[in-house]
Order: sequence, then C-alpha cells, then structure tokens
Amino acid sequence: MRDKTDYIIIEFSKAVFFFGVVVLSFIALGFYSFLTLEHEGHWLTGMNNQVVWGLPHVFAIFLIIAASGILNIASISSVFNIKIYKPLGRLSALLAICLLTGGLMVLVLDLGRPDRLIVAMTTFNFKSIFAWNIFLYSGFMAVIALYLWMMFEARYNKFVGKVGTFAFIWRITLTTGTGSIFAFLVAKEAYGALAAPLFIALSLLMGTAIFYSILYWMDKGLDVPLGSEIIARFRRLLIYFIFTVFYITILSHLTSLYVTKNHDFEFFLLFSDNIYTLLFWVCQIGIGTILPLFILYNKKLSISPLGILLASLLVIFGGFTMLYIIIISGQAYPLDLFPGYTENSSFYDGAIASYTPSIYEIMLGLGGVGISAAIYIFAIMILDFTPKNLDDEHTLYSNNKEKIKTE
Amino acid sequence: MKKYEIKLDRRDFLKSSTMLGVSTIAPGVFFQQLAHGRDLDEPASSKIRWGMLINTNQCTDECDACVTACNEEHGIEDFGRPTTDTQWIRKLTLTSETTEESINVPMMCQHCENPPCVDVCPTGASFIRADGIVLVNKHTCIGCRYCMMSCPYKARSFVHENLENQLPHAPRGKGCVESCNLCVHKIDNGENNTACAEACQKDGHQAILFGDLNDVESDISKQLKKYESKEVRSDLGLNTAVRYRGI
Amino acid sequence: MYKKLSLKILLTFFLILFSGASITHENIPHNIDRSVADKCVEPTDIMRSQHHIFIKQQSHDTVVKGIRTQKYSLNNCINCHIKPSANGTYPSVKSEEHFCSGCHIAAAAQVECFDCHASKPFKKVVEKVKDSE
Repeated sequence: MRDKTDYIIIEFSKAVFFFGVVVLSFIALGFYSFLTLEHEGHWLTGMNNQVVWGLPHVFAIFLIIAASGILNIASISSVFNIKIYKPLGRLSALLAICLLTGGLMVLVLDLGRPDRLIVAMTTFNFKSIFAWNIFLYSGFMAVIALYLWMMFEARYNKFVGKVGTFAFIWRITLTTGTGSIFAFLVAKEAYGALAAPLFIALSLLMGTAIFYSILYWMDKGLDVPLGSEIIARFRRLLIYFIFTVFYITILSHLTSLYVTKNHDFEFFLLFSDNIYTLLFWVCQIGIGTILPLFILYNKKLSISPLGILLASLLVIFGGFTMLYIIIISGQAYPLDLFPGYTENSSFYDGAIASYTPSIYEIMLGLGGVGISAAIYIFAIMILDFTPKNLDDEHTLYSNNKEKIKTE
Repeated sequence: MKKYEIKLDRRDFLKSSTMLGVSTIAPGVFFQQLAHGRDLDEPASSKIRWGMLINTNQCTDECDACVTACNEEHGIEDFGRPTTDTQWIRKLTLTSETTEESINVPMMCQHCENPPCVDVCPTGASFIRADGIVLVNKHTCIGCRYCMMSCPYKARSFVHENLENQLPHAPRGKGCVESCNLCVHKIDNGENNTACAEACQKDGHQAILFGDLNDVESDISKQLKKYESKEVRSDLGLNTAVRYRGI
Repeated sequence: MYKKLSLKILLTFFLILFSGASITHENIPHNIDRSVADKCVEPTDIMRSQHHIFIKQQSHDTVVKGIRTQKYSLNNCINCHIKPSANGTYPSVKSEEHFCSGCHIAAAAQVECFDCHASKPFKKVVEKVKDSE
C-alpha cells in the first residue's frame, strides 16, 4: 500500500511571510510574559490561592487535546483505511506534534519553578496522573515521530497501518490521562469521572475544526486546491463530533444533578448570574454548538468552504470556552468544609472566588499557539508534508483501485 | 576552643549538653526521661504521630494570636494583596444555618494520614514524614499547584511574590507551594510544640493542644478519649491529625 | 571546509565549557569568620570540590528524615562564611562580596539555595541592630 500522493515543499511567499510575522510576534509576546512572570512572580497573573489554574492551563489543555484530536485524521486513513484522508496523514501527524509542543510549552512556562523541568522529568510519583502524563506526552512525540517515518519512507509504507493503530491507542490514552487530571479531585464537586470521555470527544472536535481551518488556509495562502469531497467529509465529521460533545456535556450535568449534594454547584454553573452561566449558555451552547450546527445544516453555507470555516472557528471558540468553564468554575466555586454552616474568613472560605485573566496569561497562551504555528510553518518549508493537490480529482482517485494499478 | 564556647547561644548549649547526655547516660533511660526528645542525628520515627486538638469553645472572636504567631515564626509577610498572600493558618467564622450560633475555627493543613496532595504531586515533593507531618519538599516542588487543586481544606498557598530576608529555620521562596508544617523545626529541635499552640496557651485560651496521637499517655490522647471530637470532612476518610471539639 | 569549521566550533565550545573548571574555587581565599570557628568542617580542597554534595545530602536528610545535625547544614556554612563588611552590614547574595556568590558569579553557576534560604546569619543581624540602637 504505497502512498501515491504528490507532496510539495512550501516555498517562501507573501502568505508565508505574513504567517511568519504573526507567529513570531506571538512568540515574542509569550516569551516576554514568561520572563516577566519568572522574574516578578505569579501575582501579576489573575491566578491566586483560590483559582490556582487559570488561562494558561486552558490554553495548554486546549492545545494538548487538540493535538490528540488532530491525529484523528491520520488515524482515519491508516487505522480505518478510508483512503481519501491518506494525503492528509503526514500533515495530521505534524500538526499533532506542533500542538502538543505548544501546549506543553505553556504548561511548563507557567510552572512556579520552570527551571526545575529536569526535576519533573527525573523524579516521579507514580500515584500521580500528572507523572503518568509526562510519559504519555513524551511517548506520544516518539510514536508520532515513528509514524511520520513510516509515512515518509516508501519502503515502510506498509507498516503505517500498524504504527497508526498504536498511535491511535496512545492518543486515546493520552486524552484520558489529560481528562483524568480533573477526575481525581476528591473534594471538588465540579469534577467527575466523565471528564475523560468528555475530553476525548472534545479533542476530536477541536482537532477536526483546527485541521479544516488549516486546509482552508492552505487553499487560500499556499495554493493547495481544496476539493468539495474533503469539505463535505469535514462537514460530516464536525457534525458527528459536535453532537458527541453535546451529548456527553448533557450527560455529565444530568449525572451531577442526580446527586443532591451537587445541586448547588450545578445551579451556580447553569442558572445563576455569574460569568460562567453566561459563558455556558451564550458561548458554549449558543455560539459554540447551536450556531455551527445551524451553519452546517444550512443549504447554502454547508457547501461553501467559507461556511465550514466559519463553523470550525465557532466550534474552536466554543471548545475553548468549554475548557475555560470546566477549569475555572470548578475552582471558583467554594469548598464546603462545614456542611450546615456558612463560612467566612480572610482566605475567601465560603465565597465564590473571582478570577480575571491578566494580559500576561493571554500573552503566554498566545506564545504557545505561536510555537505550534512556528513549528508547522518551519516543517512544511523543509520537508514535503503538504499534499500538492486536494481537489476531487486527486483525492477521489485513491479510492479507485483500477487507477492505482494502471499507474 | 574557649572562644568558641562563649559564642554558643542557649539553644546550641542545650544541644551540646544533650549530646553529652547521650554519650554518658544509657540511651534507654535517657529517652524515657525526655518524652519525645529526639536526637539531632536521629530520623523522625513512625512510632510518633503528631497531631492537634482544637477546642473551638475556647477560641474567641477577637483573638488572632495563633495567626500572628505563625506568621512571625515562619516570616510570613503580607504584600497587601489578599487573594495571593500566603496564609498557613486562618480563622474561619462559621455561622449555623439553622440556629445562627457562631463558631471560631482555626483552620490549617490537617496533616491527613492519606493526603490527596501527596497522591497527586507529580514529583513526590509533597510527602508525608514518618511522624505524620505532611510537608512540601521545596527542593523538588516545581510549582504546578496540583496539590492546591486537590486539597479539601484549602490549606495550601502558592508563593506569588519574590521573598527576601527569610528566616534561617524557615526557608520559603517564590514559585513553590507551602502550607502548615506543624513547626517541624521546633519538633526536630525537641521543643515539641507549635508556635500557634504556644501563643494560644500564652493568651490563656488553651484552645490548641499539640501532642503525640500515638502515645496513650499524652495529654492530647487523653483528651481525645475523654471528649467528643471531629475530623473536618470525615466523609473523605483521610484520617486527619488535626481534630476539633465543639463543631 | 565545513568539516574544519564545525571542528573549530566544537573546539571553542569545549574550551568555553572546561575553562569554567579552572576558575572555579581557585582564587577564593579561605574565608571564615574566626570569631565563630577556627576552621571549616572539612579540609579546604574537599570543600571546594564537594560542598554541593554535602549540602544536597544534608538538605534531603533534614527535609525528608528530620535530621538536623549542624555539621553540613547550610545555616552552619552561612554563620561562619558570611562575615560583616566594614560598615557592619552583611553583603547581599547578589554581590560578589558574598562568599558563595563570589565563586558562583565568576563560574557563572547559578546558586538556587538563596531563592528560599537565608543568605546571612540571622541571629547576629538582630544582635547588630540591638547594638546600634
């Protein structure tokens, strides 16, 4: 099963230049933020002793799960053997590496002691899901590197299926591990075991949406024509995953509502006058779920490349908000140390914690996005990751076995 | 040599005389005499489990001696930024939702036997010492704050600021997580009391009692036997070393 | 051509790397506060090459096991080695006058200790303040 697709190395162009300028400025912002926080301390961020994980963690987890999800495109082609995705395999694996690196970068640079990264890489407490995640993340890199090698080297193309299956299992484990960071918090009502499947569904959705946005950019900026067949397939994938995420979201809230002691938190999140309720209904459900579905089912918009791009961007926005709500609201809601009493102290016991992300956190997060994008643009300019043509003629022929034989 | 001896302060003098004691008196006799006086080069023992019994009935509204004493003992300063400032011990005011009675509860790290912070720490920096004290090893803490996420008591603080003029016995620094250490330096030096308990006794409230939970002869064990006491969030099954009366 | 160039780069790299060893701890005088103790806990050459090992071992013993012997404790180092300067104040850890920083700045090896630990003898500071009052 040799890969017959033509790949190209991207030449320097105006589009690449503008992309590079944006990317480099993001990285500069992120680096500046890191240096400032490292020097001054975390009081400059919005994070505090109540909300200990803030926007950087939202960015980091977003990028990490998107990395896992974006590899799904390669998995579909090599594990489930749907050939139309084959030309996208290399790109999919590359983007997974990019996003994972960016995400980990944000996570590490937000540590209180980023200089002790070596400690984190050498001292492990195997009871901690965090320690396991370090192995899952670095292992994921290695597996993708192997996967890419199998895809690039024509002699090894026959192993792509096997390595792809392994990578598939690995990335499901990875997303489960990431979700489980929140599953094992005994005292917080907000987090439960459903975090893991929710994160897997969300990763698939984010990966698909980001991948489509990049395909659209390749069409417009890099002159890689995008055929209607691929667009139609991404539309369908988006619809499936939006519904899956929506379903698990509802399920997790209903599960939580079944337990009476969680009613207060669910009420806080879903029906009170705070920012999280607003974000949930307007951003996550309205803009991130219903509006994209409307676009994807609209007669005109659902066949236009721009319409799907719009849906993808909205979905990305919705997914990001969703992670924000999951991560922040669970911390903002106070612990109930003494049931039956109202609590009050100088340490904000019994009070809903306030959290406003500071500019430094936004810059740090953008820095991570910048790193991801920089690796991507650098890689496609030195190696042939990019398929030459993705129009219907070039993508559909790989489904046609006779044509392959004649070649 | 003489010059050297003159420079010894009281604590050092006690230490060296203790050393002398060890070498002259038979060790068995010595340890019986000083209840928990551990030798400086002897590691903490799992035969002991340090704990506290806090009698909220004796804790008054206006007093904050325990908080002040703790801050002074460990050199904790506030930077006028209450959301990020460190608090190792804090006073909670509870108001009953049914009877509106109010209770004062000093709250700090509960030194669980099964601490969630130790389970989640990726590097093992959060650990439980042989004598039951839950500590952060700041040499390996990377500042990820996962322990703060997992703590059911909100006992931990992250150092958000650059610190200067730390005390020799209380190393603290930016970027690490910290919490009540049961005045571990005092325990190791054989004082066997905490700054908060001392301050509370000094002010005449006697609300905080510190001692060895494993020793049936200790005051704390006797009181725990005599009076009803509670663990905070006992439903989590963490077996805390800090117990409360009157809640 | 390229081979020669890369060889040069490699050589420069190694020179920079190992030149550090020659400046470390060589020119620093045996600096100790004679009013506190006569000599260091180990001979000078051993301390020069292994002080970090002693300190690291001690830090582990103290934090994890609760062993607080004086000999290799950082406070003990500080008590002897950090001497007040002429005006009676202790040198800042950021200046080269500080015993530890003197070497470590020259060798460009960062010391982490004083991010958290006291860099000057504490009790004597208090006494000094009292004396001056």
